[in-house]
Amino acid sequence: MNLASSTGLFRGYEREGFFDEMIGLNGEPRSFCRQLFETLDAMSPEDFQARRELADLTLMNQGITFTVYGHEAGIEKPFPVDLVPRVIQSEEWTHLERGLTQRVTALNLFLHDVYHEGKILSDGIIPRDLVVNAPNYRREFVGANPPGGIYIHVCGTDLIRDGDGVYRVLEDNCRTPSGVSYMLENRMILMRVFPSLFRQHRIRPIDDYTSILLANLRSIRPGRSANPTVAVLTPGVYNSAYFEHSFLAQQMGVELVEGRDLFVEDNQVFMKTTRGAKRVDVIYRRVDDDFLDPLVFRQDSLLGVPGLVNAYRAGNVSLANGIGTGIADDKVIYAYVPDMIKYYLGENAIIPNVDTFLPWRESDRQHVLANLDNLVVKATNESGGYGMLIGPQATKAEIEEFRAKIEADPRGYIAQPLISLSRSPCFVEDHFEGRHVDLRPYILVGLDGVKIVPGGLTRVALRKGSYVVNSSQGGGSKDTWVLGGPLEQEQRLGDMTQRQVMNA
Amino acid sequence: MLSRHADYAFWIGRYIERAEATARMIDVHYHYGLESPLVGEALRWSSILAISGTEEKYRARYKDLDEKNILHFFAFDTDNPNSLASCIAYARENARSIRDTISSEMWESVNKWYLGMRTWNVEAVLKVSPHTFFTWIKNESHLFQGITNRTLMMGETRDFHDAGRFLERADQSARILDVKYHDLLPSFTQESAIRDVEAVGVGGTVDDHGWLAVLKSVGAFEAFRKTYHEGVTPRRVAEFLILNPKFPASVRHSIGRVDGCLKRIGKNQDPTPNNLAEREVGKLYQELNYMSAEDIIKEGLHEFLDRVQLRCIHIGDAIRECYLTY
Repeated sequence: MNLASSTGLFRGYEREGFFDEMIGLNGEPRSFCRQLFETLDAMSPEDFQARRELADLTLMNQGITFTVYGHEAGIEKPFPVDLVPRVIQSEEWTHLERGLTQRVTALNLFLHDVYHEGKILSDGIIPRDLVVNAPNYRREFVGANPPGGIYIHVCGTDLIRDGDGVYRVLEDNCRTPSGVSYMLENRMILMRVFPSLFRQHRIRPIDDYTSILLANLRSIRPGRSANPTVAVLTPGVYNSAYFEHSFLAQQMGVELVEGRDLFVEDNQVFMKTTRGAKRVDVIYRRVDDDFLDPLVFRQDSLLGVPGLVNAYRAGNVSLANGIGTGIADDKVIYAYVPDMIKYYLGENAIIPNVDTFLPWRESDRQHVLANLDNLVVKATNESGGYGMLIGPQATKAEIEEFRAKIEADPRGYIAQPLISLSRSPCFVEDHFEGRHVDLRPYILVGLDGVKIVPGGLTRVALRKGSYVVNSSQGGGSKDTWVLGGPLEQEQRLGDMTQRQVMNA
Repeated sequence: MLSRHADYAFWIGRYIERAEATARMIDVHYHYGLESPLVGEALRWSSILAISGTEEKYRARYKDLDEKNILHFFAFDTDNPNSLASCIAYARENARSIRDTISSEMWESVNKWYLGMRTWNVEAVLKVSPHTFFTWIKNESHLFQGITNRTLMMGETRDFHDAGRFLERADQSARILDVKYHDLLPSFTQESAIRDVEAVGVGGTVDDHGWLAVLKSVGAFEAFRKTYHEGVTPRRVAEFLILNPKFPASVRHSIGRVDGCLKRIGKNQDPTPNNLAEREVGKLYQELNYMSAEDIIKEGLHEFLDRVQLRCIHIGDAIRECYLTY
C-alpha cells in the first residue's frame, strides 16, 4: 500500500516537494509508519469525522478551549487537535534528546556566566553590548545564586525539520514556555478516540511529566525544609494559558496561587490560607519577570507580589524559571548558541541552528536589506508569531515597512532564510492533506540532571500553505509519538496476566 | 487551603443550590397554576418574585407579568443575578478558578451543564415542556453533587462547598415557606389564626392544593406523607420544613450540616464555639434543636422565618469574616 494505490483517505495526497513526516520520496509510507498509514487509509471519512467530533466534544466538556474575541458572548472554541499523530523513530529521538540536553546545559552555563564573571563576554565570544544592554538582561540579578546554578528549569525549544528532513532549532523558550498541557491532553484525547492505534504501536509514555516537574521543583527548595511547599503562580483566570496553569497545579497536587494570595514578610513568602499564613518555599511562576514584583519591575503590575524579588535574592524562596532567563532566548543571542556550546562544553552543536543574519553587523545588514523578499525577519523580543515578516509571501509595502524598521533598530531584528518546514498529514473535510509542522519538546532541568519526556507538542499550521503554527494565528496541534526502541521490548508488569506474573 | 479558593468553593455550593431551588420553585408554580384555575396568573407569578426578592428588578425590566417573561427572567436573564443562567455561569466561573482544587470530574460536570444551558432558550423550553427543562436542571445539580460526594476529598474544600450548599438550602426553604404562607393565609399569620385553621381542618381546595405545592417545591411531598399520615395542614408543613431532623431540605437539618462543616473546618471537638462563625451557626442550630412547632407559632411564623433568614445572612458574613477574606 502506498500513495499511488490508496483508495482511502490518502487518495490524491501530494508531498508537493516538501519533506513529509509520514511519506517517503517514492510515495511509500516510511517503514515505521506503514501500519499507521494503512490503518488510517482504510478508515471512512465518516468514521474519522465522528472521532473528530468526539475529540472536540471532549475538549469542550473539559473546558480546553480558547475564547474567540470580538463576539459579545465570548464564544469558546476547542483548541484544534488534528487526530493524525506525528511519529518519531526511536533513533531520531535519541539524537534529539542528546542535542537538547547539550543545548539547555550550555544555556544554563551561559546564564550563570553572564550573571557572574561574564567570561564569555571578556573572551569576546559574544559582544558584551549585545548581552548587557538587552532589554531582558536583569542587572538586578548579577551575583544571585539560584540552587544548583540552574536558571532554566523548564525549556521549550522549537524544532523544525527542513527540506532535507534535518532537525534544526528555530528558537529557545527559556522564560515561561507554555503548551505542555496540550501535549498531555492530546495524548489523552488520542487514546480515547483511537485506542486501537495504541495497541498496534509501542509508544513511549509521557505521563510522568508532572511527576518529574514536581520532583525538580521540590529539589530546588531553599535548604531548610524537608517537606517544601510548592505553588504555581498564575496571572489569573483570564490569562490565555490559565488552563495549563490549573492543569499543572492539579496534576502536581500543589496550590495554584495568584499574586494577591501571596505576601512577603521579613523576606519570606507566605500564602493566605483559611488557617492563616503559610510559608511558600518554591514557586513555579507563570508570570513574566516584568510583572513579578512591582517594587523591582513594572510598578503598575497587579499580578505580582511586592517583595518577592528580595525574598528570592535572599535565598528564602526558589523560583522556576529563575529571573533573567530572557537573555538566553533573545533572538540575537540565539545565533550565538552554537558558539556557546563550543565555548562551555567543547563540543559541536548536535542540533544545528537555522542560518541567521544579524543586521546589527554591517555586512549582514547589507545582505538582509538586499534580500528582504527572500528572508524571514523576526523582531528579537516578540513571540507568538507577531512582529514577523515572511519575505516571499509579503507585499511590497510590508517589505518597505520592515526595511525602515531594521534601519532604525538593527539590534531589534534578525533574518533567516525561509525554511520549508516539513509536513504531516492532516484531516481536511474528507481526506488527508499535508500541513506544515514544528515540534516543541519540553526539557526539564533539576538538581539531578536534564530529563525530557519523549516527544513534545507538535504544532501544525492548519491553514493551507501557512507556515505559522501559533495557536493565536490559526495553528493547531497533534499528538506526538516517540516509538519504543529495541531495548524496551520487555513486557511491562501491568500488561501481564496473573499467571505470567506468578511465573516471572 | 487558600482563603480565596475556600471562598470559591463556598460559592459553588451556594450557586448550585440556588439554581436547583429556583428550578424547583418555578417548576412547581408552573404546574400548580395549570391545575388550579382559581389562582390567578398574576398571583402565581408575583409570589415567585416575592420568594426570590426580585419583584422590583423584574418590574424595572419587564412590562407584563406572564409566563414567557417570568421564564426568561428566572431562567435565562443574565442581568438577573439569581437566574439559572447566572447561577450556573457563576458556579462554573468559580469552578474554573479552582479547577486544580476540585476534582476534574466536578469541573467537567459544571462545565457541561453551563454549555448545555446555552442550547436552551424560552421558546425551546415552552416547546419541549418546562418540566423537562426543570428536571434537567435538577438532575444536573444532583449529578454535580453526586460527583462531588464521590470524587472530592473529605477536607476543607468539601466542607466549604457543603457549608455554602446547606446554608443556601436552609435559606431557600425558609423563604419558600415564608412567602407561600403569606400567599395562602394572608390574614392568618398570627398564632390565633393557625389555631383557627387547625380547628376547622384544612382550608378549602385552593389552600390544600397550595400547601401541596409548597411541599413539592422543596421535594418534600413524599417524605411528608411518610412522616404524617393525617393529612396536610399548615402547621404540619411548617413543622416538617423547619424542624424535621431527617428531611434533607429542612432548615434544622441544613443548619446542622453547616454546623458540622464548620466544626470540622475549625477542628473543633468541643460543644462550645471557637470563633464567630461557629457561634452564629451553633446558636441557630441549638435553637432549632430545642424548639417546638408551638414555639414557632407563638412567635409568629413570619416573624420566626424572617429571623431565620436574617441569621443565615449573619452566618454567611461570619464565615466570610473568619475564613474567606484574609
